Amino acid sequence: MLQHIAHRLLISVPVLIGVLLVGFLMLQVVPTDPATVMAGPTASYAEIEAIRQSMGLNEPIIVQFGIYLSRVLQGDLGRSMISNTAVVNELANTVGPTIELMLASLIWAVPLGVVLGTLAAVRRGRLSDRLIMAVSVAGVSMPIFWFGLVLIQYVGFHWQMFPFQGRGGPLWTVAGLNHIVLPAITLGGVFIGPVARMTRTSLLEVLGSDFVRTARAKGVSEYRVVVGHALRNSLIPVVTLIGLQIGFLLGGAVVTETLFAWPGVGRLAVGAITSADYALAQGAILVLALSFLMVNLVVDVLYAFLDPRVRAR
Amino acid sequence: MTELSATPAAVLPAETAPDRYRRPSIWRKLRRDRAAMLASGFLTIVIALGLLAPWIAPYDPYDNNLRNMLKPPSEAFWLGNDGQGRDLLSRLLYGVRTTLSMGLIAVGLGGSIGAVLGLLAAYFRHLEGPIMRVVDVLLSFPSILFGLAIAAVLGAGTFSITVALTVAAVPSIARITRGAALVVMQQEYIAACRAIGMSDLRIMFRHLLPNCASTIFVYLTLQLGQTILLGAALSFIGLGAQPPTAELGTMAADGRNYLFFAPHVSTIPSVAIFMIVLAFNVLGDALRDVLDPRLRQ
Repeated sequence: MLQHIAHRLLISVPVLIGVLLVGFLMLQVVPTDPATVMAGPTASYAEIEAIRQSMGLNEPIIVQFGIYLSRVLQGDLGRSMISNTAVVNELANTVGPTIELMLASLIWAVPLGVVLGTLAAVRRGRLSDRLIMAVSVAGVSMPIFWFGLVLIQYVGFHWQMFPFQGRGGPLWTVAGLNHIVLPAITLGGVFIGPVARMTRTSLLEVLGSDFVRTARAKGVSEYRVVVGHALRNSLIPVVTLIGLQIGFLLGGAVVTETLFAWPGVGRLAVGAITSADYALAQGAILVLALSFLMVNLVVDVLYAFLDPRVRAR
Repeated sequence: MTELSATPAAVLPAETAPDRYRRPSIWRKLRRDRAAMLASGFLTIVIALGLLAPWIAPYDPYDNNLRNMLKPPSEAFWLGNDGQGRDLLSRLLYGVRTTLSMGLIAVGLGGSIGAVLGLLAAYFRHLEGPIMRVVDVLLSFPSILFGLAIAAVLGAGTFSITVALTVAAVPSIARITRGAALVVMQQEYIAACRAIGMSDLRIMFRHLLPNCASTIFVYLTLQLGQTILLGAALSFIGLGAQPPTAELGTMAADGRNYLFFAPHVSTIPSVAIFMIVLAFNVLGDALRDVLDPRLRQ
């Protein structure tokens, strides 16, 4: 178990360095010289040169990467070129809403997906199975922004049931809850299909195993066989797969946030890229990549913990 | 968003009989699948429409006429007009062309790179470790991050999105190819090729690759749907094709501004993306069911 975790941590190191390297390169393509910008328009050549020296811009690129690394480790991601605020502060304000949105999507989409997948597996080959699987394929094929647009058009605009712009405040307030409904339905909606599919596949495999036959043979009711014996055993792969699909959810979150003006990291990243704010884009992408790596790590360890076969090792 | 293709990536073709024994029955089985036939028919038509767009589009897709702004479908303009009075049908045809070619180029290029990497990993044992490690890392990253990072470096536009989509397509195809190639490597004819002193390259590309081709093809089909979906999403958030380019995602984003009084402007391109991706997924699923007996239940 410990060995597994250590191994996983060790693998993450090169990836981590790769991600940081990409972040560093992103800052290298900035068309303007940061020292000139910092010195201001009236600075003399000598002053600019002094700033270059102090910022380490005259060092070889590998040393500059080292400087970048130490700065990132100290939590300094530079300053936004447009608002001139520290990138870290901008990011700190957006991470919360993104996590909020993801959780609000998972909390209803995963249970629904599991229920649908179980239904499909139990009624394999029948009309309801084919219907659920058809809906799931359609869900995987649907552009997430279209689903969001339809919700905005009908639920938000025509029926005026929920607001569809921005975040209304903390989730424990009515306005906060109202504002998250449509984004959460949008983002969760594309997640149901995959979860249902995974559950179905995993459950079908388990339903064919010996212990299920034994349970049936000793006269356990079909409901108990499915829910008590089979589903429990099929959920381990489903849980891990859901964890590993966080990346997919992240992609959806970027689009959903942009669509609903939700003040999260994804919208921040997109805004920074389209306005060529390299420092901010670098910071946002770094945070997205790092948090993704971390989630992956946690899921991996969790998997080892959930699965007795791995735990025993 | 590729990691969520309709398929668990781990599904590899099982040990199967050599390809030439299988091939005739694949098409016979596929022909019996009505949904798959419908999907491939639809895709043929869509691809033909995209190819022929310059000749069959009734109007210039960039010709704006503000007097026709946001007109609903009419006899003169079958699908109505967009916010600048441009003919939506013409823009749809051109948009299909842009979107499909972005997807096809990315999957073709990324698929080729992936296939070569997969073959190398399967054929040369000492390359397997390094290649597959890189592939696993790439595979674990959300494709949207490639899109964001590459757009941040190269600037938003069709080119950077195509690059991002290409990168995103490499790892899954590499993995699938390696899996398929490892199975073929067990066959006696590969040993025979070696025994008669055939060069590594010749074995890889004349014998190994053709025998993995059907598997790779299936995954390319599934990948294409996901790639198109991702490309459209990136364009929708403003990182892909820039206006006024006719591209389905960009068109849907443009229609967002008129959502409340002219919903057809965003709905038409969105439905087009949905149907194209759906067709690729249905076709890919059907192909996989035929090729992989383990999944046929």
